[in-house]
Amino acid sequence: MASFESNRSCVYTLLVGLVLLSFWPLLADAQQQPSGFAVERFYQSAPGSGWFVMDDLDIGGRLGGALSLTSGYARNPLVITGPDSKQKLAVVSQEAFVGIGGAITHDRFRGYIDFPTPLVVSGTSGTLGPYQFTAPSVSLGTNPDTVSDPRTGVDARLFGEPGSLLRLGAGAQLIFPSGIRADYVTDARYRAMFRFLAAGDVGAFRYAGQLGVHVRPLNDAPVPGSPNGSEFLYGIGGGRRFAGPGGWAVVAGPEIFGETAFRSFFSGETGTEALLTGRLEQTGTERNLRIKLGIGHALVQNFGAAQWRIVFGVELFGHK
Amino acid sequence: MRLRPLIPAVVLCINNRERCAAIPRDYRCGVPNRGLGQPNLVRVFDIGRSIVRVLTGLLLASSLASAQNGAPAPRTSDQFSFMQLLADKDLHDIENESWNAYGQFTYISSWKPSFSAPYTNLNGSINSLLPTAERSFTGTATLYLGLRLWNGAEAYLVPELISEHPLSQLRGLGGGIQNFELQKGGTDAPQIYRSRLFVKQTIGLGGKSIVQESGPLQLGTHYDSRRLVFVAGNFSILDFFDTNAFDVDPRQGFLSLGFLTYAAYDFASDARGYSYGGVGEFYWDDWAVRLGRITPPKDPNQLPIDFRLFKYYGDQMEVEHKHNIRGQEGMVRLLAYRNRENMGRFSDAIAAFQADPEKNATTCTGFNYGSNNADAPDLCWARKPNVKKGIGAFAEQYIGHDIGVFTRAMYSDGQTEVYAYTSTDRSATVGVLAKGSSWSRPKDVVGIGGNLGWISNVHAQYLGMGGVDGFVGDGAITAAAEKSIDLFYSAKFGKIYSLSGDYQRVVDPGFNAARGPVNIFTVRIHGEF
Repeated sequence: MASFESNRSCVYTLLVGLVLLSFWPLLADAQQQPSGFAVERFYQSAPGSGWFVMDDLDIGGRLGGALSLTSGYARNPLVITGPDSKQKLAVVSQEAFVGIGGAITHDRFRGYIDFPTPLVVSGTSGTLGPYQFTAPSVSLGTNPDTVSDPRTGVDARLFGEPGSLLRLGAGAQLIFPSGIRADYVTDARYRAMFRFLAAGDVGAFRYAGQLGVHVRPLNDAPVPGSPNGSEFLYGIGGGRRFAGPGGWAVVAGPEIFGETAFRSFFSGETGTEALLTGRLEQTGTERNLRIKLGIGHALVQNFGAAQWRIVFGVELFGHK
Repeated sequence: MRLRPLIPAVVLCINNRERCAAIPRDYRCGVPNRGLGQPNLVRVFDIGRSIVRVLTGLLLASSLASAQNGAPAPRTSDQFSFMQLLADKDLHDIENESWNAYGQFTYISSWKPSFSAPYTNLNGSINSLLPTAERSFTGTATLYLGLRLWNGAEAYLVPELISEHPLSQLRGLGGGIQNFELQKGGTDAPQIYRSRLFVKQTIGLGGKSIVQESGPLQLGTHYDSRRLVFVAGNFSILDFFDTNAFDVDPRQGFLSLGFLTYAAYDFASDARGYSYGGVGEFYWDDWAVRLGRITPPKDPNQLPIDFRLFKYYGDQMEVEHKHNIRGQEGMVRLLAYRNRENMGRFSDAIAAFQADPEKNATTCTGFNYGSNNADAPDLCWARKPNVKKGIGAFAEQYIGHDIGVFTRAMYSDGQTEVYAYTSTDRSATVGVLAKGSSWSRPKDVVGIGGNLGWISNVHAQYLGMGGVDGFVGDGAITAAAEKSIDLFYSAKFGKIYSLSGDYQRVVDPGFNAARGPVNIFTVRIHGEF
């Protein structure tokens, strides 16, 4: 009997072991680690295009060009809500960048490049449900030369003249993967955007808008707060122009822009931001200067649509 | 982790671009302009001399002075470029530029046959060049963007892409690393990064007006021959120091790392070869003095930068003089550097190990290179603020039309580990470069050079005990000078491209006479626009 008891004990141990082993894959999967992605959804317009996100389509003249320097800071661009809808984790709580871009224009066409550099990307690591999020830790010291997802694009003014009531155009851009996914600065995949653009001047009023498609191959669903594949882009901006002496003017007004994944159209990870912008600009000469400032807040806060944001830009532009 | 500063070559051309504006083109700066692209050598050279004879002549360098004529020249206006295209269409003032944009792409493929080695990575040391046959490559693409900000101020931005695969993970060689494009920590997958972003302010002090031709990292403009120049930002120190006027463009010239600058010049830089900091230059006609302070990496040979420029830094000073000998241009430079970095002294690492063998390469608690040799000292036990110093001299001389010789040598103290460039503590280089106008290929370049590198006694003792530094450490050593030769021919074809063939032979690789010699064959295709 002693032998039977001993054997029974062994059998139980073995059974428990087998049960544990059978659950091992589930246990191993219990803590998934998202790989990161390009958290920024502040998709700037081309250098020299006036607005921060929209495009004024004021392309004209002989050979011309533009150079831009844009820097910004976003607070809480990636806050993930837990399954209980209460717990929140700011995986990316701070994000600062500087971007340098250049454009060449001729007649109604524009070609451009833009090189964003992350200055700071940081946040809080933690666990939400089955996901173990690791916050990025990017700084200029640790990443002294990173260029994150540079892009090149072309825009064309298809209808209307510079300064006219209605201008229509189209643009396309290609985004090159660069950087490390875990830093939340890249999808590590090529991306592209195609946009239909509209803009116009009505007296002292300026407006611009866009509709487009962001071809985004990365789909990390069901990881919360992550890309769900290609997105629909939308945006509208408007402002009043206050003319000053010497050809200088101030244009002030809001830009509202956002994006939503086609797979979860206007649900899920949709993000929308409003940016109150003001720009001091001198136009109409061969060499012009524009200084821009924007302060924004998320209307629909999801990844990339920051809780609040401040953006600063300088543009040199002109044409022969 | 980059080993080589990307493209100082562009700046190498800058000195050559300097021309005196008021002097007729063929006699600028008071001497005949012997641009490589000019086929007027016919008088001096018999055009029937074959490439073989030229190469033979190069090998017999002592006879070159009388056998060759002319000096290598910078990128010329007859070369294709986007800016020249705009200028030709009257859309751009290339002599007084407000902006410019240039580009290049280069693919370099190297093959190393197997070689003899009685031991490799002995006892768990990790820095041997593998004796098996290997292939290596680099692919780079670069955009050079320049903008005039205001009077005398220029800004430059240089984004770059690199994809690479080094030999033996870039281990086992000193200055004999076969491809200067290789970066520490590079990957097969393309990486895009910003190599330079700096502002340059020039303050004219009079003298002659010098034409500065448009090119990468240089707006077309005029400078005073007497001037002050201040640079601040992110750059390679080799953009300003130890520029070689007739080394052509490294992407068309020598491939070995030992020819990029002094192999013993352990200039502070991140893993790619770039730094943040400032440079001041004072030009007084034929004289120039430069001072620079730049950032080192936080850990040796790594990418993260330590911005505490008052605590850790690399200082350098250079004095330069241009001269003419019998109408042939030449230049002499003296360069001294002093780095203060958080680095290990070899003697301290050895002493720590001898006092406590537990302080070996496998028990490191700080940054280390991952050696598995438990019987070896390791620099990780010795890192603290230390100073490294070195002094070097460079001379170049045109000895005829389309040909020049150069030499450079540097002595560094050799007491501390390599922090950014190569493991070499003392180096000497000599080389000859010529363009092919004598065989009706005026845009071709041919060169041959030799490079010698030594390590200090205490460095050899450390390696002999099985220690490793950033690049070398076989587990044992028969200490010797690392000797290498580099022979290349670069042929221009079309308006944009050049194709190069290169042979290098490295004797006593990694300063170890027990291993090698190593032969390396390389093909390079380069384009610029």
